[in-house]
Amino acid sequence: MPSLPIWEFDVLLLVLVVLFALISLSIRNLMGAAIVFGAYSFMMCLIWAGMGAVDVAFTEAAVGAGVSTVFIVSTIYNTSATMQNKPGGLTFKLFIGLVVTLTGAFLLSALPDFPEWGDSESPANAVVAPYYIKNTITDAHVPNVVTSVLADYRGFDTLLETTVVFIACIAIYSILRTETAKSKTDEPEEEIAVLPSYDPSDSLIVRQASRFMIPFMQLFALYVIAHGHYSPGGGFQGGVILGASLILLAISFDLKFLLGHWSEKSLMLLVASGVFLYAAVGLACVFMGGNYLDYVVLDPILPGKGDMARSHGILLVEIGVGITVMFSMVAIHINLASNGRFDRGL
Amino acid sequence: MEILAYILISTGLIFFLGTTIGLLRFPDFYSRMHAAGKGDTLSTVVILLGCICIVSTQGGMNWLLGLKILLIINFIFIGSPTATHAMMDAGKKAGAEPWRKDSK
Amino acid sequence: MENLIANFNYVIVVILMMIGLWAMLAQKNLIKKCIGMAIFQTGIILFFISIGAKNEAKVPILSKFVAENPPAIIVNDYANPLTQILMLTAIVVGVSTLGVGLAIVQKIYLEYGAIEENEILARIDSEDE
Repeated sequence: MPSLPIWEFDVLLLVLVVLFALISLSIRNLMGAAIVFGAYSFMMCLIWAGMGAVDVAFTEAAVGAGVSTVFIVSTIYNTSATMQNKPGGLTFKLFIGLVVTLTGAFLLSALPDFPEWGDSESPANAVVAPYYIKNTITDAHVPNVVTSVLADYRGFDTLLETTVVFIACIAIYSILRTETAKSKTDEPEEEIAVLPSYDPSDSLIVRQASRFMIPFMQLFALYVIAHGHYSPGGGFQGGVILGASLILLAISFDLKFLLGHWSEKSLMLLVASGVFLYAAVGLACVFMGGNYLDYVVLDPILPGKGDMARSHGILLVEIGVGITVMFSMVAIHINLASNGRFDRGL
Repeated sequence: MEILAYILISTGLIFFLGTTIGLLRFPDFYSRMHAAGKGDTLSTVVILLGCICIVSTQGGMNWLLGLKILLIINFIFIGSPTATHAMMDAGKKAGAEPWRKDSK
Repeated sequence: MENLIANFNYVIVVILMMIGLWAMLAQKNLIKKCIGMAIFQTGIILFFISIGAKNEAKVPILSKFVAENPPAIIVNDYANPLTQILMLTAIVVGVSTLGVGLAIVQKIYLEYGAIEENEILARIDSEDE
């Protein structure tokens, strides 16, 4: 028997992940399922950190264990639904079982073709990735290879992924947003009845603690964005943390309080302006006579000596990503929490 | 310094064990939250202090890392009791009955 | 069997994808379906990260010494950054799509007052009659 190529610790975590997935799907209480799903995400993030993917683990810790749990909880709150266990018919179950088993068997049958786990000569590791690792310093002066690949070598990918986040934000707006005035006439006093029995904004302690923590969260997020060249971090992680700080504000105070500071219009403008900043940096490169998103030609208008232009270009782009991600998280939360009415919510 | 770190980390693990037992064995919502809130905060803080001890033995710029861990401790110290308080409050408003000696 | 143990990560990936697929097909509750979708997605992310991992490799951040001497870089000391950035963006896109799914769930609840599949179908039927 070959010695295990992965740590024993990893094996334990992998088994735990499967257990958590099963628990979060089989538990009857939907709120419990959301919490267990958060724990599942956190276990996943530990596994990825163990495999050397710290940036991914960081993102998952902020997104999976933080923001997506809030999204699921606010949906549960707004649908105020409890789960009923009405199992389907036997044929239905057999059919589903057959489909799932067949898919699993197909996937498992491809297993022997995979390279050994951790093989540094596998096609995925041997062809293009070594170039990035060798040349990130000479090309871009960015020690964090993930950041330089994210915003420089593969800038188009990231631009379009940011656009997808923006489009998802618009989609949620068009699905959920309803005019407040209209909904008032449609469903008059009935809404008051479902006011939550517990409102965190009642509590002085919660308010004061979040008032103390939010500035530090935002400071940390800015550090994550700005220091992403040298340590794990970047626009996506920092943007999610900034968004989470505003979501904490919305939960611990009031949705109205947040909307008093960030009106709906400015939120959407900022979501768009992040993508715009990213695209504008690319266009500036074209106007300076280079290719799209080729930051080298920006050298005359950016500070710093000589070949630092790519490093600064990456920072500009990361700021754009951060703005888009931050405000789309906030906009998605406001929509989901208030059921598109923008008046009150979770 | 390393011995101190190991002592701190094992103390933290013992407190975690106590927290878990309390969470499982206490009779009602409030006492369970009491165990979770107090034990969790203390053991995390103690384990992180142990981490600072390990980091500070390595020299170089690692005191900066220790400072960051100190900040994490600060936020756990603020955040965890607040979360416990919020849950307790929510439980009280949702009508969770405290346990009494004469109740079954 | 040896292959199964050596590629334990991939086996877990397949199991997670099966769990997610089963949840999306068999669960009647729409929120549970969304959670199943997210589980399927994390399975795929785990697959990519497992491909990019290398034995004895560190995180793909060059140390100060190596950064000052670019010829001293040993490629196999660092995990594959490419798969990592693909998945990093996929996670954030994933949470946005989860948000879209949950928004649709809320809209369905506004329309039909239920998030269980059978109830929704029953209400659609009763509206047709």
